[in-house]
Amino acid sequence: MKSQRDVLIGELVRAAKLDEDIYFLSADFGAPALDEFRTSLPNQFLHLGISEQNMIDVAAGLSLAGKKVFVYAMGPFITLRCLEQIKCSLAMMELPVTIISVGLGLGYADAGPTHYLTEDYSALKGIVGLEILTPSSNDLVVEIANACVISPKLRILRLDRTPFDLVEFGNASNQLNQGFREYPAERQAARRVVLGSGYALDRAFRQLEARGLLEGLRFIDLFSNNFDPSLLKDALVSVDKIVVIDEQCGAHGLPSIVTEFLLERRLFLDVEICSLEPKYYFNNVGRDGLLDEGGMSVDKLCEKLF
Amino acid sequence: MTPTLNKIEKSELINYSAKLRRRLFQMMASAKQGHPGSVLSMVDFVTYLFRSGRLHNFLPEYDRSERDKIIISKGHATMALYPILAELGFFSEDELHAYGMPGSLLKIFGNVEIPGIDATSGSLGHGIGIGAGYCIADRGNGASNNTFVVISEGEMYEGSIWEAALFASHQELENLWVILDRNSKIILGDTEDCVALNPVLEKWHAFGWASMECDGHDFEEIDSAFRALESRAGCPKIIICNTIKGKGIPLMEGKAEWHYWNPLSERDVREIENSLLEEIA
Repeated sequence: MKSQRDVLIGELVRAAKLDEDIYFLSADFGAPALDEFRTSLPNQFLHLGISEQNMIDVAAGLSLAGKKVFVYAMGPFITLRCLEQIKCSLAMMELPVTIISVGLGLGYADAGPTHYLTEDYSALKGIVGLEILTPSSNDLVVEIANACVISPKLRILRLDRTPFDLVEFGNASNQLNQGFREYPAERQAARRVVLGSGYALDRAFRQLEARGLLEGLRFIDLFSNNFDPSLLKDALVSVDKIVVIDEQCGAHGLPSIVTEFLLERRLFLDVEICSLEPKYYFNNVGRDGLLDEGGMSVDKLCEKLF
Repeated sequence: MTPTLNKIEKSELINYSAKLRRRLFQMMASAKQGHPGSVLSMVDFVTYLFRSGRLHNFLPEYDRSERDKIIISKGHATMALYPILAELGFFSEDELHAYGMPGSLLKIFGNVEIPGIDATSGSLGHGIGIGAGYCIADRGNGASNNTFVVISEGEMYEGSIWEAALFASHQELENLWVILDRNSKIILGDTEDCVALNPVLEKWHAFGWASMECDGHDFEEIDSAFRALESRAGCPKIIICNTIKGKGIPLMEGKAEWHYWNPLSERDVREIENSLLEEIA
């Protein structure tokens, strides 16, 4: 199975061969697919060194000059380290740059908390005009890549390091604009919903499936903060209970977005949050071990769901 | 340095600069806001840039891809450009009267909504990186436009300045020009007392930049520095302009407290205006 970054960059290589205005900037971060970009399109690739902040500023200059710019680095360093640059050099000038952040949540489990991305969503959602996308399947990554090329805007793509593919959620081709996907596709009488995105949602789906607990549940993959509120309200109107899962510390990321939405739309549902206990994780027990340790085990999820 | 400007050119620059300084003071005094120390220290080299023909095609009818760019990375001093941009036709002279007023186009800090402003600025340390991006885009388009970035001395404390300096040098961005407004002051005092920056010229040289130092209020020296660097190929350029914060208004000259506007009596305003008028031929 290909990683999300290889799927994305593979699409960008194809697009950049046809469009010399596409520039790809990396802060010393690679990928197998990037090797092809570097060798076949050397004039459209820039190595910035390990200087994520300057990379954002350079991207701003390129974008002001009309280029379609993609910036790429390991997640923690292109997000929290660059918040000021993202605000001042991109968001304030409404520049259509695509930020590619790799290593969602505890994805770099063996590296420790400097490399974890467990606080980014809460910080990024405060940036005005920034669309935050957390894909959970490779066909969705392809759709997003095409959108970034055809209709550039300020976006951040939160890609996972671990290859996974939530293919059960069906073809993504018509779902990008609404910002979420559902499983099963046809709404049933299920009144309990698991809502999440990315690896955490895939993991929850697989674990509940393994326990034979999918019956009676619905899943919503809220992969964008720029979702269609009317359609999401329709999807939730007959629901009694939502468990929001998020591979982030505390409730400030996706759970905050969901609860704010429910309040604004006056949908008074029973909401439970299944996210990481807010702390820095130093134990070297792998991603799933850390998720269990942080309060996101399947047992915890089931407690909240049933 | 060898004088390169003839007497007429030099006197024209001096006169233009005196008019600009007075106009800027009037705008700040009217709005009772601005950063006079930082604005006035850069008036002379900004005058040189615009009036000596250094900025190519810098007119409203040219798209950014067809002209030079100028980024005031020390965004709090962006207003130094406003009277020049109005004169060039980027916006109406009436906008100058509305400077700083509610709903006005022209703010203390520049932004790209203002015609002729090439980057939104205000937070220090971003301008060189953005300028590098412009240069790479121009290079990709086969254009040889220059991008000029004005930075403050205090900006050199920002790490992103040095990230950008390394990158621009590696990329051999010979069309990137940085003008360092070295007025020796930051808010809390002299830079050398706060956190020493010297030796500045050597630092930039070590980063691979063609570098020159000059008196930022002496048009002959400014011109000589530009001429000395313009033939240097394959590297970005920096001109370190030694300036005086608040230059032209004795009350403000070299005073850290005049980083921000301070209250002035009507009599003080009149006297300063008159003294600035006397400088105009």
